[in-house]
Amino acid sequence: MKRRPNYLAGAGSLVWLVLVGLPLYVMLAATLRTRQDYASKGPLSFPGDFTLDNYTGAFDSGFGRYFLNTIIVTVCVVGVVLLLVPPLAYAIVRSRSRVTSQIFRLFLLGLAIPAQAVIVPMFYLITEAGLYDNLLGVILPTAAFCLPMSALVLSGAMRDISPELFEAMTVDGASPRRMFFQLVVPLSRGGLSTIVVFSALQAWNGFLFPLVLTQSDSTKVITLGLYNFQTEHGIDIPGLLGAVTLSMVPVLLIYLFARRALVQGLMGVGGK
Amino acid sequence: MRIGMSRMLVCATALALAAGLTACGNGSGGGSSNDGRIHVLVYGDASNKVERRIVDTFNKTSDVKAVLDTIPGADYQQKLQTIISTPQAPDVFFNWGGGSIQPFVKAGLLMPLTDFVKKDPNLDDKFLPAVFNSAVVDGKPYGVPMRGTQPVLLFSNKNVLDKAGVQPPKTWDELLTTVKQLKAKGVTPIALGGGDQWPTLMWFEYVYDRVAGPELFKKALGGDKEAWASADSKKALGMLKELVDTGAFGKNYDSVKYTTGASPALVASGKAGFELMGSWYYAQQQQDAKDFAAKGLGYTTFPTVSGGKGDPSDVVGNTNNFYSVLKKTKHPEAVAKFLKLMYSDEFVKAQLAIGNLPTTTNTKQFLGQSASPAYSRFQYDLVAKAASFQLSWDQAYPQSASTSMHQAVQQFFDGKLDADGFIKAMQALPAE
Amino acid sequence: MSTQTTSAPTAAAASKEGRRRPDTAYAARGTRPGFLWALPATVFFALFAIVPLIAVAVLSFMSWNGLGSPQFVGTDNWKRIVDDPVMVKSIWLTLLLTALGVALQTPLSIVLGVWAAGHQRNRAVISAIYFVPLLLSSTAVSVLWRALLDPNFGIPARMTWLFGDGNLFGEQTTAIGVLAFVSTWQFTPFHTLIYQGAARAVPQVLYQAAEIDGAGRYRRFFHITLPQLRNSVITSMILMIVGGLTTFETVLILTQGGPGTDTTISAYYMYQKAFQGFDFGAGAAIALCLVVAATIISLIVVRVSGYDKMRSDMEGVS
Repeated sequence: MKRRPNYLAGAGSLVWLVLVGLPLYVMLAATLRTRQDYASKGPLSFPGDFTLDNYTGAFDSGFGRYFLNTIIVTVCVVGVVLLLVPPLAYAIVRSRSRVTSQIFRLFLLGLAIPAQAVIVPMFYLITEAGLYDNLLGVILPTAAFCLPMSALVLSGAMRDISPELFEAMTVDGASPRRMFFQLVVPLSRGGLSTIVVFSALQAWNGFLFPLVLTQSDSTKVITLGLYNFQTEHGIDIPGLLGAVTLSMVPVLLIYLFARRALVQGLMGVGGK
Repeated sequence: MRIGMSRMLVCATALALAAGLTACGNGSGGGSSNDGRIHVLVYGDASNKVERRIVDTFNKTSDVKAVLDTIPGADYQQKLQTIISTPQAPDVFFNWGGGSIQPFVKAGLLMPLTDFVKKDPNLDDKFLPAVFNSAVVDGKPYGVPMRGTQPVLLFSNKNVLDKAGVQPPKTWDELLTTVKQLKAKGVTPIALGGGDQWPTLMWFEYVYDRVAGPELFKKALGGDKEAWASADSKKALGMLKELVDTGAFGKNYDSVKYTTGASPALVASGKAGFELMGSWYYAQQQQDAKDFAAKGLGYTTFPTVSGGKGDPSDVVGNTNNFYSVLKKTKHPEAVAKFLKLMYSDEFVKAQLAIGNLPTTTNTKQFLGQSASPAYSRFQYDLVAKAASFQLSWDQAYPQSASTSMHQAVQQFFDGKLDADGFIKAMQALPAE
Repeated sequence: MSTQTTSAPTAAAASKEGRRRPDTAYAARGTRPGFLWALPATVFFALFAIVPLIAVAVLSFMSWNGLGSPQFVGTDNWKRIVDDPVMVKSIWLTLLLTALGVALQTPLSIVLGVWAAGHQRNRAVISAIYFVPLLLSSTAVSVLWRALLDPNFGIPARMTWLFGDGNLFGEQTTAIGVLAFVSTWQFTPFHTLIYQGAARAVPQVLYQAAEIDGAGRYRRFFHITLPQLRNSVITSMILMIVGGLTTFETVLILTQGGPGTDTTISAYYMYQKAFQGFDFGAGAAIALCLVVAATIISLIVVRVSGYDKMRSDMEGVS
């Protein structure tokens, strides 16, 4: 199909590019400047003297350990979500039991529970379970709060699987389990990639749960490290942004490599 | 079959969780006080290196070992209150004295240090009385000073003042004149990080003290709501209002924050003449604007008010930070031994080296070794001679009052509250 | 709330039903999974979200400062927050910010998403840049914008014709505007991705048919693309609403609820009450109000859009 260039949309997207790009430029530029240079000339000026101290400084204050903790948390959260959500979404889409439609409603409502609303009881729950200041104590609630959104996305993706395919398998006498593994899982790969990215982002950027549920340096995650960095170094904005930049590199890499799967996965969100 | 499958899923989940548990279960279990060590909990910031060093020194000679736990900055108080009545509670913890420990004293969680002091009078005598007393609750000491004192001072950019041909003001009237002269030169007379709210509060603390003396606030804190409605209170508010209305702080001070470095940058870059801030300001400028800190940064005491009841030597600010002890600690002897280190020469020297000013009586002899001797000496003399050292209002009141207090001072400066509105807001604060 | 509906007796009764059903339905409808497939996730979610939520509900009838044991005080907390002018104001502010968020982000992310759905190479590169704000934590985003919007050193100082004296955080209108803008900046990428995916899924046949009919670009957009994106719009709007109602870190770092209480939205007010005032009872009551509000709004959107019926429609087909 032939297409004329769409000038209006193109112009609009350029405006947005500036709005997104300018702060990102300021951030990157700031990380390459000394604290004095930034403080005296302000955020918008061009860097006067280049330095990589802001990056090395971040590593000196223990970011290696925090990275490792964050990776553990992220992998475990994604693992729990991948284990729990596909069967759940399968049941939501295919089961005719009234209980599952109630369960679906429960998860829809669950979208509306803000993590900070339940943080006080959560602290006592985790303490009682002996998981305070333990990465598992962060992983479990973080994963739980990923479930509603993941269930919504994945059931949307599964709904798009053509009913004829199910019927064909039924004729073959396939059990629900076989359908799940041979039909549903392979055909909802896009949705699965979306929930992986979504829950990984949640875990990677999680702040409130680690803040309240951990305490020692050995269980600190990156976001807390950033927060700590901010108070420990007063108002060292370039240093802080250097740490921020470092913290987003891994996710950006994953995005760049998994972009196609991600966009395809999100097709499932809205159905057709 | 179907149920078998679901059971399998349940089992798989359980297995995965168990695997996660072993994989990630190497956490130390945090501040539990049942591991035969004493847990020392402090506010996480740059001063931690000294605290770490003192803990190491302690561990060299003590059978009961100490562990240092830190909680990052702004959420320290909240987290402390959450864990202090659980098994995760520390044995010894950092606080600001005054209102910050009062709820814990009321709940019977803290150990009065009366016995410690009886056994070792140095625990009291070795500290400046004005400082030690701000951790005394209901007549009993509950804290030992453990960092540095942070009086609030009036800082200035000498170059800006020179260009406008003005001197640092000694009296309130001089301040008003200076403001007008700086304004005429096109600079913001006084930088204010109004977005943070607490820098605005510092102006109230000083003006009230100069006008009415420390007694007015003491009464108010004790529950006498009429203190806020007194003539002195109204006079102080009138003076503040006049200062704001002359444009002393410019127009956009509510969009400026100290904590983002914006207000110190105003002074360092010559866009503003003065800033009222705690003594940490000096170190801040040294890091952000080295040349300015060395050549252009001036500091002085807050102007006096003619006819005011307050002693001109009075200061306000953070008197010090304190270590308090939990009643349920299993190792009181070890804790007492640990607290003695807070007036040791090693402690004083280490604090001075990182720019903190300890409030022990032996501090004086080491002032020469401080990071900036002249500045340290100025502060030490100021605090040692002060007739009264008023703890910051938001620290003196219980923490539950601080939000409303911050809102009230901001709204008064914005003109959204008039004097009566401000008085009402302060009367509504939960007092002692 | 529906939390009660998952309680043991109902589940047990339904489990019998679930076991019986396939026998009769097997031949006609094909084998379907029982509800037990949903059980592990449900139990897990109940333990870590519903149980704490119930605890919050109980706590809202207690007086507790985090020390000692909570005291039962009946409806005291509720009476206090109903009479509290700041609370009432915070609800309006929350609704206003949420509505602004939806109004700004929906058109923007639809247009950007549809644009990015094109397969041109430059669009792929640009959409990668669009995506970056999503990778920044709210803390970082807020710190960044606070620096950019500084009245003396940031953008307002260079564009005084637009920003005047730059007192963006000192006036209620502009402070709310900044909050809405920063949330939009941060979350539009996510919604753009949703629409990008959905726009690519629109069957090309529809466009070809329209082109034969001579429909212009804008008619095609309004008559084909938009209707086809309907489900995505609903999903993304629910997420925006929930996100808007629970906005927190942005306010914490950008405005701290100020000037005065002019941007104190409910989620932040709850935090102030619970964690700065140590009035956990009142905090719990506000938290519950939030949950109820979010639930009602989500339900309205779901009902109006017929989102919850979608499932049964689909099943009618299969």
